Amino acid sequence: MLDQRPLQRQGKTSAPALDGAILKGGDAPGDELPTDAAAIVCDNVSKGFDGVPVLLGITISCRPGSVNVLAGENGAGKSTLFKIISGQIAPDGGSLSIFGQRVRRFTPRHSQQLGVSIIPQELASLPDMAVWENLFIGRELCAGPGMLRRQEMIRQAGRLLADFGVDVDPNAPMRSLNIAEAQMIEIIKATTRDARIVLMDEPSSSLSRTETERLFQVIRQLRAKGVCVLYVSHRLEEIEAIADTVSILRDGRLVRSAPAAEMTERQIITEMVGRDLQAFFPNRPALTSGATVLDVEGLRLDEAGPSVSFSVRRGEILGLGGLVGAGRSEMLEALFGIRRANGRVLLDGQPLCLGRPSESIRRGVAFVPEDRKRAGVLTSMSVLDNTTLPQLFHMTRIGGVVLNDLRERRALDILGRMLVRYSGLGQKVANLSGGNQQKVALSRWFAACEPRLLLLDEPTRGIDVGARSEIYQFIDELAARGLAIVLASSDMLELINLSHRVLVMRGGAVMGELAKDELQQERILRLAMGKGDHVNV
Amino acid sequence: MSMSEQLTRNVASSAPSSALEKQGATHRRQDVARFLLRYSLPLVLLLFVVGLGLSNRTFFTFSNFRVILLEVSPIAFLAVGETMVILTGGIDLSVGAIVGLSGVVAALIAQNDGAWAATFAVVGGVAVGGLVGATTGFLVSVAKVPPFVASLGAATTALGFGYVFSEGRPISGLSDQFLAVSGGIGPVPIPIAAMVIVIALAWLALTRTMFGMHVYAVGGNPQAARVAGVKIRKIRFLVYTISGLLGGLSGVTLCSRATAGIITTGSGYELNAIAAAVIGGVSLMGGRGSVLGAVLGFMILGVVGNGMNILNISPFYQLIIKGVIIVGAVFTDSYLNQERE
Repeated sequence: MLDQRPLQRQGKTSAPALDGAILKGGDAPGDELPTDAAAIVCDNVSKGFDGVPVLLGITISCRPGSVNVLAGENGAGKSTLFKIISGQIAPDGGSLSIFGQRVRRFTPRHSQQLGVSIIPQELASLPDMAVWENLFIGRELCAGPGMLRRQEMIRQAGRLLADFGVDVDPNAPMRSLNIAEAQMIEIIKATTRDARIVLMDEPSSSLSRTETERLFQVIRQLRAKGVCVLYVSHRLEEIEAIADTVSILRDGRLVRSAPAAEMTERQIITEMVGRDLQAFFPNRPALTSGATVLDVEGLRLDEAGPSVSFSVRRGEILGLGGLVGAGRSEMLEALFGIRRANGRVLLDGQPLCLGRPSESIRRGVAFVPEDRKRAGVLTSMSVLDNTTLPQLFHMTRIGGVVLNDLRERRALDILGRMLVRYSGLGQKVANLSGGNQQKVALSRWFAACEPRLLLLDEPTRGIDVGARSEIYQFIDELAARGLAIVLASSDMLELINLSHRVLVMRGGAVMGELAKDELQQERILRLAMGKGDHVNV
Repeated sequence: MSMSEQLTRNVASSAPSSALEKQGATHRRQDVARFLLRYSLPLVLLLFVVGLGLSNRTFFTFSNFRVILLEVSPIAFLAVGETMVILTGGIDLSVGAIVGLSGVVAALIAQNDGAWAATFAVVGGVAVGGLVGATTGFLVSVAKVPPFVASLGAATTALGFGYVFSEGRPISGLSDQFLAVSGGIGPVPIPIAAMVIVIALAWLALTRTMFGMHVYAVGGNPQAARVAGVKIRKIRFLVYTISGLLGGLSGVTLCSRATAGIITTGSGYELNAIAAAVIGGVSLMGGRGSVLGAVLGFMILGVVGNGMNILNISPFYQLIIKGVIIVGAVFTDSYLNQERE
């Protein structure tokens, strides 16, 4: 279907002067690449954020003309490694060499000059500009100083689109493209720059099967040209389809790096999750059967989407497992009322009105969202204001006059119980560490009264180990006191060790339910990856 | 801002050692410099007051202070409303037009004699302002029209109505009772008393009530505020309505002082009100600032204007100096903020 050498053909037909702008080395790319040198060599690379290590001594090397898959759970450090290689951030320690050249300046521009091109997870297109403009932004073809050669660029853009099999008019506004098409535009942009190393961060997440096939064809062509491809994926079938080597990251360490042929699917899964944090978790007493607190029936986020039904009892921690984009956050947001949804939701037997967060709060629903800085706390406000904001109505006189003494007392009390470390109630939350911010995001639902239902979305993402275990302790105490808790987590051990029961989601639907004695990482992952729940992995 | 500073109190002093190390002389000098920068506005105001007082006899008189306060009062009302709007991350460009429209409406009613007519004139003028504000508030909160556009549209429409009602002419021949609205209770003119009350109420509302905290939350981060249960639409609607009501109050008092309702009265006032708020440290991004800051802002503009008048500086030069003050104040503020981060 595709021309075997579409890029080369394109290079020949365009004027030689333009050739370099779009496809340097189109004719004989292999000659330019030093075949003996590895394309990427990371030597003992490490990186931390706010004192939390994210990468620990990564040593890895990738050859030109190979496809290297990086696998690992969320937060394993894959994206951070990509950011270092693409020059967005500098490592704290270790060294990075690209084609034998030690990288000392970590800027995106510099790494582009070295031939690194990245397809980001989030699309960085300009929606109000045309497709051809998006393809040529930053490397416009010019006639004379600043004069654009519009017709030539449109012509070349049309040819590129045809080469990649994307049926889109180059003059169409970027906004009119669907996500898959926009993703293909990003891929074209990245691979046709003078790229010798292409980084792809879950590029197939929004592509359909046929589009993914096309992407794989492009990747194979790039490999044939001697390009080194680094590919992050969660999908096991993709690893089988294109990987030459597989490297597995876990908790910031490289645990395995081997030719793909030498690893079985099972090994990959085991390496991704296997670690021991058991000691971390409190000894959870068995659940005594309590009354149903939350009863969800036929909850739908959009008309065409799947519907979800489940219930949570008093003192129960219901885990939600799944990969990124499985629809867990969306469901929690819908339950809390900040996302449109319909369906029947009963709280303590009474219908809960969806779509009204302030109403949900009064009924006793508490929500700690995934994105702490954007939704969990108000970084511009003080510790006191943050801690008392959601339940402020319990601390006011008639006319909404805030009872400040009471407010301070309550805040001091809960912050003390949560072991939050701060310098004063007036301190801005922006100046707290991530772990303490998260504790504030949790504390604020307990300042004036105990909620009935607690929705937790990735409650320990990106926070240090100490704060993490304190939060686990607190969650456990809450459940023991009879609070119903829904916990969405991508951290397998957290999910398995805190939950009484786990629902595994994929594409907005519940793929399966695992009881406490069935909770195994492999089973959760298989369900999450849509492989069905076979015990013999 | 002021509230949180009052509350800063060591609960669990986390890093006292690093604080102790900062005892060196260089640090002290830096601290002094930072203090001067931080309080540059009140200091500039103080310098101005002292300088003017020393160089000119008329400045330090009771009647001159009354003149200054009376002069700033129309802007003061607007600046208080504007502060609330800006704190939510919005902007209200309609208040200048509201001043004109509510003045015209009040004047039309006040052409009738009697205490009742005068009362209706005041209430009617303020209510018209509130109506325009509520319209802007509805457009912003429910219809999701950007505040800049919504309030600009409201301003233009309000001006149009004002011209229609007044047929483009000043409305004069107002009753004595209505003119008494800008008179005095003893030595204190009513507009000044009203200004003090409005400032006090606004300060209380923003620092001591749930409404105030929600205003800061909406401006600080609407998404996070929503998760915390803040009714964002209600808060947005309310601040524009309050801003409109205060615009009406400003228009009514000005109309009474001018003894006529003139639609063009408030033209450009919205920009002065925004300038006052911004000089006083209210962030145009929302979520940061205080009413007291805005008070400082319009007092600086008022005192500097008055002083330059006394010193016989041409109004043309006054504009240049005013422009420099606005930019200088905001520059200092953003410089300090950058340093903190």
